[in-house]
Amino acid sequence: MKRRALMLFLILLGALLQQLLPGISLLGGMKPPILGAMALFHALHKGTPDLWIAVFFAALLQDGLSGGSFGPALLSFPALSLLIYRVRSEIFTDSLVTQMVVGALMGFCTAFAIGVFHSALGQLSVEPRLVFIRLFGALLLGLVTQPVVARVLLRTEALIPKWREARRWL
Amino acid sequence: MALRNKKRVYAAAAVLLLVVVLVPLSSLTLMGKGAVRDAMAPAQRGSTGILRRISEAWSAVCGFGGMLEKNRDLSRELVRVNAELSRWRAAEEENVRLRKALGFYEEQSGQIIACDVIGRDISGWWNTIRLGKGKQDGVREGQAVISPDGLVGRTTEVTAHTADVLLLSDPTCQVSAKIERMDVFGLVRGAGTTLKGEPKAIIEFINKDKEIRVNDEVVTSGLGAFPQGLHIGYITHIKRDDSGLFQQAEITPLPTIGLLDYLFVVPSVEREVAE
Repeated sequence: MKRRALMLFLILLGALLQQLLPGISLLGGMKPPILGAMALFHALHKGTPDLWIAVFFAALLQDGLSGGSFGPALLSFPALSLLIYRVRSEIFTDSLVTQMVVGALMGFCTAFAIGVFHSALGQLSVEPRLVFIRLFGALLLGLVTQPVVARVLLRTEALIPKWREARRWL
Repeated sequence: MALRNKKRVYAAAAVLLLVVVLVPLSSLTLMGKGAVRDAMAPAQRGSTGILRRISEAWSAVCGFGGMLEKNRDLSRELVRVNAELSRWRAAEEENVRLRKALGFYEEQSGQIIACDVIGRDISGWWNTIRLGKGKQDGVREGQAVISPDGLVGRTTEVTAHTADVLLLSDPTCQVSAKIERMDVFGLVRGAGTTLKGEPKAIIEFINKDKEIRVNDEVVTSGLGAFPQGLHIGYITHIKRDDSGLFQQAEITPLPTIGLLDYLFVVPSVEREVAE
C-alpha cells in the first residue's frame, strides 16, 4: 500500500516537474516526456494492477493538464504500455539501449497522437515544418528522459526497505 | 472461467476508454479537466512558488533584493494606471464619435482581476499559461489578459479555480486590431515561436491602399469583447498577402516575452444602447 502511494506521489511530482520545465525552443518548444517515461517504467518493471493504475494516472494527468480534449495520452500511454508489457520477457529491460529505444518510441507516439488528435478536432493549428521538428524533438527528448527517469525511480523505490529498517531501530 | 472474466473486464475497460476518448463532448471534457486542474492547482501554485522564491533569492544574492519588491509594486501600479488610461482614451474617442451620431453607446467594464501564473502547458504543443484564479474569482472565457507591457492573450478554458490563457503567439489566437497611427483595422493572428524562442504574430487584412510603416504600433481595435487601445506590438516586416488584395505585416508581440509571475484579467466590455 505504501509502495503504491509512493508510486502515485512520484507520478504527481513528475507531472509538476514536466510542467515547470521550460520547452526547448530548438525542438519546437517540446518538453521532456516525464509522465510518459514513468508509465513506461511501470510497463517494464511492474505487474498488474500497479502497472495499469500508474499508466492511467499518468495519462489522466497528461491529458488533464494539457489543452484541448481528453484523448491522446489516454490512448497512447495504455497502448504502448500494453505492447511493452507483452514483449518485456524477450528484451533486456534494464539495458540502456532498451530504455532509450522505448523512451524514443513513447515520446514520438505521444507527440504524434496529440498532433493528429487535436488537429483533427480543429483545436490545434501548426505548420508542417514545425510538426516535423516537434516529432523529432519528442523522439529525442524521450530517448534522453527514459533512462534518467528509470534510474531515479529505481533508486527511490530501493530506499523503502531502508526506511522500514530505520523505523524498526527507532 | 477466471481468465474469461478477466478478458471481459479488459474488453469493457477498453470500450469505456474509447467512448471517453472518441466522444469529445466539450462539457464533459471541461468537467473532467476542471477536476484534474482544480485538484492540482494548490500543488502547482506551491511548486511555482518555490521556483519563484529560488529565483528571487538568487536575485537577492546578486544584489537586487530590495529593488525586486519595489519593482513588483510599481509594475502592478503601472498596469492599473495604463489600463485606466487606455479606458479613458477609448471613452474620449468614443465620446467624440457619439457627438456626431444620433444614438450613443454606454460602455461598462468591471474591475481588473490580478492573477498569479501557476503553470504552463505540460505538452509543449500549445502556447498557453495557467492562472491561479477561475470562475469563483470572476474570470470568464474570452476575456483579455494583460501584463504591464500590453495584451498577453485571452482566457480559454476556465475552471472553478484556474484559467488557461491562450497566448497571442498561438496560431489559434485571433484578435481584432488597428494600427494606432492611422486607424487602419486588421486581424492579429499568432504565428508560433521562432527556433530562438521568440513569439511571432501577424496582422492580416490591412487595406492595400494604406501606407503602413515598420515600427508602427498595433493596438486592440475595441471591436469584439476586448477593450480598445491595449498594446499588442510593433510592426517589423510588411508584405502583400497571396491574393494581392490586402497587406499583411509581421509583429513581435512584446508583452508575451518574459512573462511576469502575475497578470491581469480585463473584464469584457459590455455595450448597451441607451434609449
